[in-house]
Amino acid sequence: MIPLLFGISLVAFLIANAIPADPINANLPPNALNDEELIAAFRAKWGLDEPLHVQYITYITNVLQGDMGTSIKTRKPVADDIRQFLPATIELATLSIVIGLTMGISFGVISAVWQNTVVDYFVRVFALIGVSFPVFLLALIGLTIFHSELGLVGGPGRLDFIVRDPPKVTGLFTVDALLDGDFDKFRNALSHLILPSFVLGMFVSGIIARITRSSLLEVLNMDYMRTARSKGLSERVVVIRHGLSNALIPVVTIIGLSFGNLLAGAVLTESIFAWPGIGRYMFRASTAQDFPAIMGISMLIAVIYVIVNFVVDILYYFIDPRIRVA
Amino acid sequence: MLHVRRGVLFSLLMALVLLGGLVTGAVAQDEQVLVIGHAEITDSYDPANGFTQTTGIVNRATYQTLVTFPDADASEILPLLATDWTISEDGTQYTFNLREGVTFSNGDPLTADDVVFSMKRLQNVNGNPSFLADPIVDVVADDDMTVTFTLESVRPSFLAELANTVFSITNADEVRANGGTDAADAEETDTAEDYLNQNSAGTGPYILESWTPQEETVLVRNPNYWGEDLPFFDRVLIVNIPEAATQKVALESGDIDLATDLSPDQVAELADNPDISVFIGPGNIHHFLIMNADPEIGGPVSDPLVQRAIRLALDYDGYTDLWEGSIQPGSDLAFGLAGAFGPDQALSRDLDTARELLAEAGFPDGFDIVMTYPDLTFGGIPFATNAQKIQADLAEVGINVELNPQDFQIALEEYREGDQGFGYWLWGPDINDPADLLSFMPGGKVAGERLNWNDDNAPPEIVALRDQFAVESDPERRLELVAEIQTALQETSPTAPFNQPAVQIAFRSDIEGFVWHPQWLLDVALLSRVG
Repeated sequence: MIPLLFGISLVAFLIANAIPADPINANLPPNALNDEELIAAFRAKWGLDEPLHVQYITYITNVLQGDMGTSIKTRKPVADDIRQFLPATIELATLSIVIGLTMGISFGVISAVWQNTVVDYFVRVFALIGVSFPVFLLALIGLTIFHSELGLVGGPGRLDFIVRDPPKVTGLFTVDALLDGDFDKFRNALSHLILPSFVLGMFVSGIIARITRSSLLEVLNMDYMRTARSKGLSERVVVIRHGLSNALIPVVTIIGLSFGNLLAGAVLTESIFAWPGIGRYMFRASTAQDFPAIMGISMLIAVIYVIVNFVVDILYYFIDPRIRVA
Repeated sequence: MLHVRRGVLFSLLMALVLLGGLVTGAVAQDEQVLVIGHAEITDSYDPANGFTQTTGIVNRATYQTLVTFPDADASEILPLLATDWTISEDGTQYTFNLREGVTFSNGDPLTADDVVFSMKRLQNVNGNPSFLADPIVDVVADDDMTVTFTLESVRPSFLAELANTVFSITNADEVRANGGTDAADAEETDTAEDYLNQNSAGTGPYILESWTPQEETVLVRNPNYWGEDLPFFDRVLIVNIPEAATQKVALESGDIDLATDLSPDQVAELADNPDISVFIGPGNIHHFLIMNADPEIGGPVSDPLVQRAIRLALDYDGYTDLWEGSIQPGSDLAFGLAGAFGPDQALSRDLDTARELLAEAGFPDGFDIVMTYPDLTFGGIPFATNAQKIQADLAEVGINVELNPQDFQIALEEYREGDQGFGYWLWGPDINDPADLLSFMPGGKVAGERLNWNDDNAPPEIVALRDQFAVESDPERRLELVAEIQTALQETSPTAPFNQPAVQIAFRSDIEGFVWHPQWLLDVALLSRVG
């Protein structure tokens, strides 16, 4: 894992610096661009006047000492920014994964069991939409229909704008509101959380539905399935116990990988829903060429990605007895 | 079993939707709250460090300056924290008498010390806006209520520059108590920025209650506000909604009262919505043609006769019809700035004269020319659309224009280097003062550096006018000169200003008092809610 993170940090650093644009233009006011002294001061302040390899070595040395640097844009330590923005993303990503898994696996099972029926076609079209429909458009359509027109769910932001944040404990508004015993605020937070979670959940559910379907179809034709049926087991037990638990192995792999999808989707979802999370922060950092922030988030995502896939590997152990034996 | 599973799924979804649906009504509020949807771009609310649009909006509400502009434009200089001022004979010393009875938000009275401290701190912290204070050599308190600024040279635009929120007056004692200093080494030793990002220390009608970067900024009424006109709203929330499309949905739903970043297309879609009102007024960006004065580069358009012919050949009314709310500027000085010619004093299309001028210049049958412009859409206006109209307009006098859209950076490079012969660009004022016109005079930032129109090839009368105008500090005499200059430039200049598009801001219909301002964009203290 350590060499991997080094590799990622190097690649992220090189990509961020390879962009043919100057952070001076993104961060100094246009009328200050004629002032050589100011530009020199800016470069010196952020270490941009050093050669690239020196910049990288300085960065890595600092990271190893627990210092992720200071964001050029927010002028706060990147670690503080992450602390500020991460909870919103965790809250969104958690519900999205739950929704994505529930929808994805259910639809996959439904569509496999009723293969080549109208239900199957419907689910496959849904999955195709989930995979290929632009997230930002889905988000805007969702906002317009379910918020503006029907008033069923809350609008942009984590709470109605005039409602104040719950006292901070975990940073997850739904949890913090409950801890505070404020059920109105809990419902408000939830009403704002549902739509972005659905949008993001749908984005990951498509691929999960497709993998579940094809994997289950394969399993359903296995000899042991015929054996199970011939033993007189009910269809429900056959599909769930014997079919699904075997079909889930490739699905679990995809869940690990689709975590990357989720983060990519979060950039757009968070921007549209004015959701103050890591995705939006990353977007801002990229457009401003805020190197310390870009590096910090890249490292954070790399760590999360590695951990998630590590957890997935452990999950195999529980799902697949063959691995347990081995 | 599959029916059961599907049932569970649907119940789960419905339960979530219902739970959410219960809370869409607004929570009852005792106080008047204004919610502004805004794409936040700021890194600081410290007047000496922040220099962005968002900082301008916030600091306009929390701080005040010695002098200011009218609510809706930059047409004159008005007193604010200073009641009056005198300018020395040589135009390098400005002495301000401070207003009596002004208090900061913590109750401290305003004194000359606060002014000196604010200016010196601005200079010495070397923040993003500090360069604006470069012309100031010294600031001295003559007594408790009088301050004298000494400038390095005569600078007639100085008062207009002082109206920028960058020159806000901060409470010296409060800033010092929180780590601030105006000493020469303030760049290293001043630590007040963190404090000023969470608290304001000014004399404005609002105080900064909190700022959560990239989320929201909260302003509340200043309990010690000295002014007589108290603001309507108790609390102002400026929430960060980076996506304009989201701002639009939020405005339609009533989540926000005002959206600052909608494109003209999006505003047009709201026109029929009875819950939404739209402010349309002239902005401060203008579109113009450039005609390089160097014959090697400009070819036929370097000839002043041809330049004038092109100015007379443009169908000005056509552009104002094309872009709702736009106007025809009378010169390259943005209409709305002091002394700027508006549509009434602008040129009119005169094809016959244009043809005569072309014939006189030796082009009775016109000529072929390439027009370069950046291939972009700015403020909802595609350059390509105007470029096609320019092509059609000039064809009527025999000028055959070949359109040459370029990547913005590439076109800009050529334009800035002075290598573009014939092009189409836009300009926003560097300063909200008639002095901005100097950029379009011989040797100026546009006319000189980019169009090679300098003292040697410009009419001596215009050069003389420029030299007079550059050092004239008397306000009335300046206005006379600026009128003379604009008249002269209509006759002879290497540019053809043709359109000044409108600014369009949408807000809920129950909001009153909105005016757009070229300097601070929006003054929240002027807004109120009816009904």
